[in-house]
Amino acid sequence: MQTNSVICADALTVRVDDRTLLDNLNFNVGKGEVFALLGGNGAGKSTTLKTFLGLMKANSGSATVLGHNASTQPNQVQKSVAYLPESVTLYGHLSGVENIRYFLSVAGVDKSDDDMFAALRKVALQEDSWNKALSHYSKGMRQKTAIALALLRNAPVLFLDEPTSGLDPAAIDEFNALVSELAAGGATIFMVTHDVYGACQVAHRIVLLSNGKLTGSFERAGDTPIDTEAVHAAFAGRNV
Amino acid sequence: MIRFSDIKREAGFVFGHRQIKLTLLVVFLLSSVSLWSGYAEMQEQQATIERLLKKDETERNAVLTHQSNYGMVAYYAFHLTYAPPSPLAFAAVGERDVFPWKHRIRMLALEGQIYESDTDNPELAFLGRFDFAFVTSVLLPLFIILLLYDLKAKEREARRFDLLNVTARNSHAIWSSRVLVTLVPLVLATLIPLIAFSVVNGASVASILTVCAIVIGSIIIWSAIVLAIGAAKRFAHFSATHLASIMLGVWLVTTVIVPVTGHTIINASVDTPEGGDIVLTQREAVNSAWDKPVEDTWQAFIETHPQWADKTDFDPQRDSSFNWKWYYAFQQVGDQTAKGLSESYQAATLRKDEIASYVALLSPSLLTQRLLTSAADTDVQAMVNYENNVREFHASLRKFYYHHLFEAPDFSTASFKQLPQFSPQVSKKQENTHED
Repeated sequence: MQTNSVICADALTVRVDDRTLLDNLNFNVGKGEVFALLGGNGAGKSTTLKTFLGLMKANSGSATVLGHNASTQPNQVQKSVAYLPESVTLYGHLSGVENIRYFLSVAGVDKSDDDMFAALRKVALQEDSWNKALSHYSKGMRQKTAIALALLRNAPVLFLDEPTSGLDPAAIDEFNALVSELAAGGATIFMVTHDVYGACQVAHRIVLLSNGKLTGSFERAGDTPIDTEAVHAAFAGRNV
Repeated sequence: MIRFSDIKREAGFVFGHRQIKLTLLVVFLLSSVSLWSGYAEMQEQQATIERLLKKDETERNAVLTHQSNYGMVAYYAFHLTYAPPSPLAFAAVGERDVFPWKHRIRMLALEGQIYESDTDNPELAFLGRFDFAFVTSVLLPLFIILLLYDLKAKEREARRFDLLNVTARNSHAIWSSRVLVTLVPLVLATLIPLIAFSVVNGASVASILTVCAIVIGSIIIWSAIVLAIGAAKRFAHFSATHLASIMLGVWLVTTVIVPVTGHTIINASVDTPEGGDIVLTQREAVNSAWDKPVEDTWQAFIETHPQWADKTDFDPQRDSSFNWKWYYAFQQVGDQTAKGLSESYQAATLRKDEIASYVALLSPSLLTQRLLTSAADTDVQAMVNYENNVREFHASLRKFYYHHLFEAPDFSTASFKQLPQFSPQVSKKQENTHED
């Protein structure tokens, strides 16, 4: 384990019944790093995410976040992370502001309205939609609301589940810019995705997952994005 | 641990749903209407008792004015016996729908007079009356299911469950608070009308608290059932609709199938004489006495009333006339003949009730209904007590008239100042009410 690692998988293995969903995973994610776990359907991405969030338990090895074992100290882990589910389904009958207020209260975080408005501006959610019911929001707008919530929680670690799925290209660009900004500010970002192009644009490191095993790793060199073609070739090759 | 802020937040959240407010309004209305229905019925019964008491007195005075011997007065005078509704009977009408709560009796053989009404069909009352006990024991569980069935499943289906759990300071606080802010208003919507009607009807604080505790207990049991099904690992991946159907299945089994099957099995397994048989046996004994040797009647009568053994100097054959003491003696013998059947009937009624109390352990709804009728003094025991109260009163009437028939003093209307008056027995529960 790296000394400055925020997220660490150490021989992480998860089994359900007689099926091995994650098989001896090993990786570390450092502070301020954007880490993308890339894999096809059924590769084990969501299981990895759920294990780090303390929603599933490891059978052997460990998944730790900020030094807390997610299997044995899920509450400690959950206090320090923000989670963006794949389809951000906040409450449709509440407005964006009401949703944020509700979830902040659930998290036990006390923020002023000014803080809330500042976060909504930062994620560039149109001001005229703040008080509209979320059922009228596009997926991108809901995602921005959820990111504003994550910002307000000041969580040092963000777990993102298929964050760009269903977003239009402009919204993906906006999202990637926001993720990069958060990482530059010191947040550690762990995303699971099957969007090769998006991951290459934003991630510092991409790790390929297939049938619960790590099958490849790509790292950004300086400011140059990871080579999409190389990742795509490796990803497609593993998923033939 | 739940904080006040959790409750405040979830209260705002839960009451943001129009469906919740509508459901609570319906519960409030059902509770109020059922109580009003029971209250109106009990007012009607009380008015009937008062009207019959007046009629009783008027008729008896008329009999006394127009008759000049004790036998005739005993024959024509009616005596109202009744079980007055308790201050909480309006909430649980219970067995008052099945057992008679008033009898206008005469000095004739009694058992036939008691069981005449049993020839009606009490099965008609099987489904129960729409009273507060019905609402709380049968309908309220459905509202609990409606309010709680999708507590977690709804969040799972909307894919918010993980987000809520990961975001929450304490995920248990979310679910516990939601349950609390849903159930407390449900309890209030159910009980506020009850408390209002009870206070108006003069029920004691203790009895009101007892009924409130029973209702709250029932709500807790049903909520626990619903939450346990919702939280069962076995059903973790079931949809909210699927969970609701399982919960409705449990409701159907415990609220309908168990009580109906239990009722059928109890009736089949406990041998009970028919009320009609008691009436027939008693009437045959009375009617046949006209044709039997008078000694047969006297012999049977003297067995139970040896004090009149040397006052039986009458034989209709010999005297070619009619004598009231012989007439009432064979009425007495009629009751003695039917006594075995009558006792079996009562013992069977109590035995069935006892078995039903065990069946109720398998049915929270039946248990609630039984506890409410017990608290309201409208259960089987209360009605059996009333029957025995009638028998005691009839025995005192007989004692009064036998003295005047066998000792044969001159007729005097003044002697009727000693005529026993029926006074309904007040149960311990009602005594407490009056003490309060």
